[in-house]
Amino acid sequence: MARAWRCLEAGCDTVVTAEDDQQLIVAVNRHVGAAHDSFELEDVILDAAEDGPDT
Amino acid sequence: MSRFHFTRELIEGPIYRKYEKAIRGVWNAKDLDYSQDAADWQRIDDDQRRGLLGVTVRFLAGEQAVTDELVPMLAAAHALRRYDWTMFLSTFLVEEAKHSEFFMLWHDRVVGVLEPNDVAAHFLSRSVTVDPTGRFEVKDVLHEALPRYGGLLMDAVRGGDESLIEAAFVRFSAAYNGFAEGVLTMPSYEIVIDATLMWDAFPTLREGFRRILVDEGRHITFGTAACRMLIERNPGYEVLVHEVFDEYRGNLVGLVEYQRAVPGLDLQKYQTMKVRHYRNRCREMGITPDATLIEQILDPEIDFVVGVEAG
Repeated sequence: MARAWRCLEAGCDTVVTAEDDQQLIVAVNRHVGAAHDSFELEDVILDAAEDGPDT
Repeated sequence: MSRFHFTRELIEGPIYRKYEKAIRGVWNAKDLDYSQDAADWQRIDDDQRRGLLGVTVRFLAGEQAVTDELVPMLAAAHALRRYDWTMFLSTFLVEEAKHSEFFMLWHDRVVGVLEPNDVAAHFLSRSVTVDPTGRFEVKDVLHEALPRYGGLLMDAVRGGDESLIEAAFVRFSAAYNGFAEGVLTMPSYEIVIDATLMWDAFPTLREGFRRILVDEGRHITFGTAACRMLIERNPGYEVLVHEVFDEYRGNLVGLVEYQRAVPGLDLQKYQTMKVRHYRNRCREMGITPDATLIEQILDPEIDFVVGVEAG
């Protein structure tokens, strides 16, 4: 099942999706790094991850 | 009370899984090599030293404070018969003690300060902060809110009324995991990481921060998950979270002192990220963010600096 995570940075509403939790952690940090020059914590990502559309 | 606490539901639950993850990820601050950081300390200038030390000394004090103030949460876990919380909190406590040890070792081996009087000379006090508009008051969350909410939680535990313990737990966790760990401190980690990358220095300080942040992610999401469980059962607890954030609103809307103490940083970035962390905490707790607080954090006209007397 694909996994999804919504970025809550001010002015950003990007939904990051990936095949599984481990790939989602990498993909979220790629987004947060590129878009916001920051990072997100693994457990924070996993706690808010939801099932998403298959990628 | 039963002598046996383990159930299939407990060991398949989210809090026990955090305990397992903590056990798998144990690290030792004494295994890190501080020699390159000590050499870097000798080559940076006095302004850089002052700016960096202002942040790291607050971490040294803060990690000792959160170690000292965690016991009420353990007492509440016992009173609420949440053995999975007790197990996780045992790792939480040892990790906070280890974080304080890391900062003790770093200051001793890199800067050459350890005794309380020596490090206290570099502590940036927040009690001197004045918001020139008079709208916001700035308090010291770690050294004021945590002991006070912790005391109230211990009073509730001693009283034995389960709903009062739950309410006091939500207030304490909102202050500890939600506000202090989950929002206020997060930009501070990034300020140190950004500054040391900009200076191409202090690799062990960054590595320590990386390991500490992995631990903190579990701590924050334990607290917010526990609050969510309690709020789902009693939605009336949501207002308690907002009351805690409201009481310390000034600390969030002002700029952190070391955003300006370290030259060359993008100040607005740290304000913007506070909003992300605040909205993340609200999402984890299942509560509605305070839109006014978000507007105030982002308002460029609210620019007083915490730890600095205006005017």
